[in-house]
Amino acid sequence: MFDKPAVWQKFMYYTLLLVVAIVILFPVYFMFMVSLKQPKDIYRTPSLLPLNASLKNYEELITEDNFFVNVGNSLLVAGASTFVSVLFSSMAAYSLVRLKYLYRNWIGRLILFTYLTPSGMLFIPLSVMISRLQLGNTLHGLIFVYLTFAAPLSTWLLMGYFRSIPFELDEQAMVDGATRFQAFYRIVLPLTGPGLVAVSVFTFTAAWNELLYALIFITSPSLQTVPVAISRLITGDVFRWGLIMAASMFAALPVMLLYYLAQRFVVQGLAAGAVKG
Amino acid sequence: MTQEAIAGFQPRRPARFNFQQSESILGYLMVSPLVICILLLVVYPFIFAIQISFTDRVVGSDGQFIGFTNYINLTKKPDFQASIRNTIVMVTAIQTIKLGLGLGLATLLNQQIRGRQFWRGLILLPWAMPAFVAFITWKLLYAPQGGAFNYILINLGLVTTHVDFLSTKELAMPSVIVASVWRGFPFWVISFLAAMQSVPRELYESAALDGANAWKRFLNVTLPGIRHVVLVVSLISTIQTTNSFEAVWLLTGGGPSNATMTFPVLAYYGLQSLRIGEASAVSVSLLPVFAVLALIVAVRLQKDD
Repeated sequence: MFDKPAVWQKFMYYTLLLVVAIVILFPVYFMFMVSLKQPKDIYRTPSLLPLNASLKNYEELITEDNFFVNVGNSLLVAGASTFVSVLFSSMAAYSLVRLKYLYRNWIGRLILFTYLTPSGMLFIPLSVMISRLQLGNTLHGLIFVYLTFAAPLSTWLLMGYFRSIPFELDEQAMVDGATRFQAFYRIVLPLTGPGLVAVSVFTFTAAWNELLYALIFITSPSLQTVPVAISRLITGDVFRWGLIMAASMFAALPVMLLYYLAQRFVVQGLAAGAVKG
Repeated sequence: MTQEAIAGFQPRRPARFNFQQSESILGYLMVSPLVICILLLVVYPFIFAIQISFTDRVVGSDGQFIGFTNYINLTKKPDFQASIRNTIVMVTAIQTIKLGLGLGLATLLNQQIRGRQFWRGLILLPWAMPAFVAFITWKLLYAPQGGAFNYILINLGLVTTHVDFLSTKELAMPSVIVASVWRGFPFWVISFLAAMQSVPRELYESAALDGANAWKRFLNVTLPGIRHVVLVVSLISTIQTTNSFEAVWLLTGGGPSNATMTFPVLAYYGLQSLRIGEASAVSVSLLPVFAVLALIVAVRLQKDD
C-alpha cells in the first residue's frame, strides 16, 4: 500500500468503486424516480427515466390526513423512547464506568447480553405481557417495548464515550467541592455532548424504523407508526408503487439526513463502543 | 450512651470507607432504572418465553404444561423443517458474501484513493436507509410489472416473459439474499476499514522490507490486525441476520410454499394464529444458537476491558 499505485491499478480501483456506486445508487434512484410517477406510467410505459414526472404522489400524501397522524405517532414514540433511554443509560453508563461496587461486572454483562438479544426472540412473551397490562394498541406500550433495544444500545455506546473522558476531571471537580452526581451532570455529561447526540440519533433512528413490534402491538390505523402504515400498503391487491415510494422517501429522508449529520460521531461511536468494547 | 458509642466508634472507621460506601450506593442508584427496565422488559420475557413454549397456551387461555410436545410437533411440520433449512442456507450465504465484500471493499478503500470520505459516505447509504424502506424498494425492483430488473432483462433481450423473482420457488431465496446483502454490507465495510486504519503503518513497512507482496502483507499484517473486529462484527451480524424479520416478511412473506420461511416469520404467523405456546417454541428453538454466539461475543468484548 506504500508503493504508488500504477496507472492500471488506479484504473482498476476506480472502476471497482464506480461499479459499487452504481449498485448502491440504482435502487435509491429507482425509488425516487417511481415516486414521481403515476400508475399508468409505471405499468403501461415502464422506463428507467422519469418520464411524465410530477409531484402528484407527494401531494396526495400531504392531503391524506392519516399519513400525518402516522408521522406524528412515529415522532412521539421515537422521541419518547429516545429521551427515556438516553436518560436511563447515561446514568447507568456513568455508574458502570466510574463507580466501584459489587456485581458491577455482572450488570455490565447483563447489559451486553440484552444488547445482543434480538427482538425476534422477545416479541411473543412481550405481546402476552403487554396485553395483560392492558397496554396493547397504545403508543406508550410501544414506547416501553422500544426500551428493550434502545436502552442497552445507548448504554453500551455511552460507556465507550465516558471511558474516553479523563477520570481526573471528575476527581478534580470533587476536590473542588462538587458531589459525585454533580461531577456527572456538570462536567462529564456536557463533555459527552457529541456522544449524546450520536447515541440519540442512533436510538431515534432505530425506533423510527422499527417494524415488528409496531406491527404486533398496534391494531388501529390511527395509532399506526409510519413503517406499519407503509408496509400495509404492499399487502393489498394492487400496489400503488408511486404513492408507496413517495411515502418511503418521506419516511427515509429525515432519518438518513440525521444519520449523515451524526455520521462522524456514529462511526467513532461504533469504533469506540460497539466494536472495541 | 449511644452517642458515646457512636463518638467512640467513628474515628476508628477509616474515612475512605464512608466515601466508598456512598460511591457504591450512588452507583446502584444510578444503574437501577436501567437494570429494572432490563429485568422487566428483557430478562422476564426471556424466561417467560421458555416457560410458554412448554405449554399449550392460546390467546385467552394460559394452557397446561405439556413438556416437549410443542417441540416434537414442530419437528414434524414442513414449515418448521423449511425454516431450519432456509435459515442455514440464507445466513451462510448472506454472511459469506458480506464477509468477502467487507474485506474486499475495506481493503480497496484503504488504498491511496482520492475522496475516501466521499466513498465511505456513499457506501454507508444502504445502511443509513431504514430497513423497511430498503426492502420495500427491493420488492419494487423485483416486481414483474413495473419493476426495474424485468424492464432491463426484457430490453436487453435476455428474457421474453416477465420473471417473477419473488414468487418463483428457485429464485425467491437468492432474491432475498441479494437484497439482504445490499442493505447489510456497509456496516462490515465501515467497521473493517476503521480497524484496518488502526493497524500500525510500521508493520506494513517492515513487511514490505522483508519482501512481502501485497497478498502476503494482507494475510500476515492486515488480517491478524483486524481479526478481533472481523470476529465480533461477524458474530453480532449473524445473530441479527438469523433473527431478521423485515427482509423476508416484506419481500416474500416466507413464500412461495415456505421457500423463504425463517424462524421469526414463522413465529409471527404462529402468533397471528393465536397459538402462542407453539409460536414461542419456534423462537425458543433458536436459543442455543443465540446463546453460543452471544457468549463468544461477550467473552471477546470483555477481554478488552
